[in-house]
Amino acid sequence: MTEEFNPSPKGNPSLLKRRSKLETSVVKFIGRHTPKCREVVKILSDSLEQPLPLSMRFKLRVHYMICAWCQRYEKQLHQIRRFAGKLPEHIDQCSREQLPEDAKQRMKESLRKHRQP
Amino acid sequence: MNATTSLAGSSPPKRESHGIANPERWVDDHGDCLYRYALLRVRKPEVAEDLVQETLFAAVRTVAKFGGRSSERSWLCGILKNKICDHFRQLGRETPFTDLEFLSDEMSHKFVPQGFWNHECGPAEWKSEPEVVMHRTEFWQTFRQCLDKLPPRVADVFMLREMEEQDTPQICASLQISQSNLWVMLHRARMALRECLEINWYGEPATRKAQ
Repeated sequence: MTEEFNPSPKGNPSLLKRRSKLETSVVKFIGRHTPKCREVVKILSDSLEQPLPLSMRFKLRVHYMICAWCQRYEKQLHQIRRFAGKLPEHIDQCSREQLPEDAKQRMKESLRKHRQP
Repeated sequence: MNATTSLAGSSPPKRESHGIANPERWVDDHGDCLYRYALLRVRKPEVAEDLVQETLFAAVRTVAKFGGRSSERSWLCGILKNKICDHFRQLGRETPFTDLEFLSDEMSHKFVPQGFWNHECGPAEWKSEPEVVMHRTEFWQTFRQCLDKLPPRVADVFMLREMEEQDTPQICASLQISQSNLWVMLHRARMALRECLEINWYGEPATRKAQ
């Protein structure tokens, strides 16, 4: 059990990082009693569709104490949502296609007819 | 007499070129922008053209209700978004199995067998703030390229959700998929986009420095 545990990396950005025996056992306890990171990422995506139950939100908070990566993931998902929401306003910056001239003329023509029945 | 002269000598009426009564001007002012958005969403030029035209017609019909609360462009863009949603609903096309299977391993190589992040490949910190990033043209080009890498149906689902802001029941009905399939596709789309942005935008030292 102990040797197969994911070792704490150098410069671990998480709050708790197994600097002592006590801290290690707290980290392991939290690791056992909160969802695994693989599940967390799906839960986080689902949370953008439907608010999570209070108990799950609490579990995630606790999980973040040992896992700064999942916390980053949550923050980044929210950023991606913001970016995507803003994309239509920035469409001129990411594509240069133009409405063909003949289509423009055709549209103007039909708008003119449309307006003067 | 004086009054009449000054009236006659005043500049010609400008009502024609201003005001709401000139939809033809929309074609020149906003046509390209609407077309670009439509093309991003439906990929086929002729379908995109049709959507732009339908948008302008709908705008003519509802212009009286448009009180100038938002800019003309965002008003037209809002109408186009509705047209795009209608388009997908009418298409009623089933989602191909291959798109449902996209990223089905959910980047398992990034996790250790116990389900925790392999810390070497956990999410990196994104150093620049969204406000700063969104001012950069290159960022939007990168974002677009990342969207283009998604399979068509996965991209459709993601954009219907995040750009047209449709909710779960609407998308499930349009694309004939279950809620759980939809949420899985959204999850994988977000995962792939996050990864793509991290590598191609946040990961590039030159870009980061320039910010």
